[in-house]
Amino acid sequence: MPPLNYFVVESPDEVGREAYERIAADVLQDLDLIKVIDRLHIYVDPKVPIFVAAGQLRHMPRAIRVADFANVNAGEKEIVLDIGDETYLAPLLRKLWALFGKENVDQPDRFTVVLPAGLAGEEDLEQMVVADPSETLYKDVIYALQYIAPEGFKVRRQYIRDEKFYYVASEDTLPGDIVETMVAPILAKMGVTL
Amino acid sequence: MTTLVPVTYKGGVYRHDEIMDLIDDLGGYIVQKHVMAQDVVLQSFVPRDDIDLIREVAKPLAGEVLEAPLVGTEIAVVSPSLEIHHLPHTACDIAEYLRRAGAKTNMVGLARGFGKRIANLNDEERDVINEHDLAVYALGNFEECIRQKFPVLRRGIHVPIVVTAAPDRETLMRVIDPPVEGYVGGVGRIMHRFKRPEELAKLDELVDEVSRTLDARRDDLARDPLSVFPPRLMTIVEERIHEVSMLTHPTPVTAQMEGLRVKLPYDLYADAVRSLEVADGVTVGDIADVTPSRMRNYILIRIKPFSETRILV
Repeated sequence: MPPLNYFVVESPDEVGREAYERIAADVLQDLDLIKVIDRLHIYVDPKVPIFVAAGQLRHMPRAIRVADFANVNAGEKEIVLDIGDETYLAPLLRKLWALFGKENVDQPDRFTVVLPAGLAGEEDLEQMVVADPSETLYKDVIYALQYIAPEGFKVRRQYIRDEKFYYVASEDTLPGDIVETMVAPILAKMGVTL
Repeated sequence: MTTLVPVTYKGGVYRHDEIMDLIDDLGGYIVQKHVMAQDVVLQSFVPRDDIDLIREVAKPLAGEVLEAPLVGTEIAVVSPSLEIHHLPHTACDIAEYLRRAGAKTNMVGLARGFGKRIANLNDEERDVINEHDLAVYALGNFEECIRQKFPVLRRGIHVPIVVTAAPDRETLMRVIDPPVEGYVGGVGRIMHRFKRPEELAKLDELVDEVSRTLDARRDDLARDPLSVFPPRLMTIVEERIHEVSMLTHPTPVTAQMEGLRVKLPYDLYADAVRSLEVADGVTVGDIADVTPSRMRNYILIRIKPFSETRILV
């Protein structure tokens, strides 16, 4: 797998450790998260029972603006948006409908959106934020960790902010100071502080 | 008496009916027929001495006859849950591989088979698993978890069990008490399709383990034979109860080692099945228990041994 800069799986059970290394690699690969996660440390001990995954993300993708995937051509009567990549077309249309009303947003074909002139400035339109991939990315990272963790570990605490994340899970109630006692030392091993 | 051996015939659709007729004429039984586009797979029992004859007839049709130790058995593949953690890879790959060896497999996803403290087995799951010839438990990675939860997951199960899990065979034998019939180590919770040679070797090991276990059961049965050979009863049911031919199930009548599962509603058809004449003056009711199955509203036929009925059809 390895484009991760740091990837360690720790467990008192050697067979389980190897299995979880493989599971984590498979899941991250399946969900296309290898390029997103920079460092990851997993600790799992079924006797306690506890599962901790902590790490750091690479820099987050920036917000997607209209100019990133479309050309804005302002004419005398109308503004024509020439769509280059359809990926964000649906959120763009939703946004335009909300701002200008459906009657003002015309889409004569798949790759063209036409607005009457004067509704918005060319610059404003180009800089309009359409989607924020980091939002779904956070969800994807947490989902991946949930997927890696043993299924019986239903009690969990998760955190993801400023490119740092952790996920602690157990079968039993988690102690209130679990982050200080278990997660912080693991993050410290990678040189990360919360 | 001719010995019937389980084999799989693989060939094309073209003239496959000749093979079916041949098997029938030789006194064999076809337990399952799969038609997949241009291919046909027949799971059948044929007389040992006539395998070469079938091979010869199949030669111009480019068909092949393979040994399939698990034909005529119904196996439950038990997964701790239906969550993405346990499915599809391990359980489905196991089920698929056993099917290639001729078995009819059913997946049993437990409602609460995960977690070492909270794992349990409810009565429906227990009864459904007990309706099979054998159960394969696809367990996970940690020795500790298997030690703690397996006794709960096997509670009330009286069919033979084969366990697969990540710890090696010796460890499994140590942690599982009382012992089960078969162990396959090195197959735990795996998140990708089995495709590497060592993974496929594990599946072969599983098939060997399962057939060894079932062979032991077959030996027991040979000492006190069943009143009727299940595939024979299957043919009779299919011939006489014409509604069976209208069912859309892949196997409307499933052959097991000691009985049959008929996928017709119990309430409507149980009496018809019971009064079905197998031979002169002998009905199904005389030689078998016809009971409702816990699987949907199907009928489960359990054939009684010769020692009980003093009848051998």
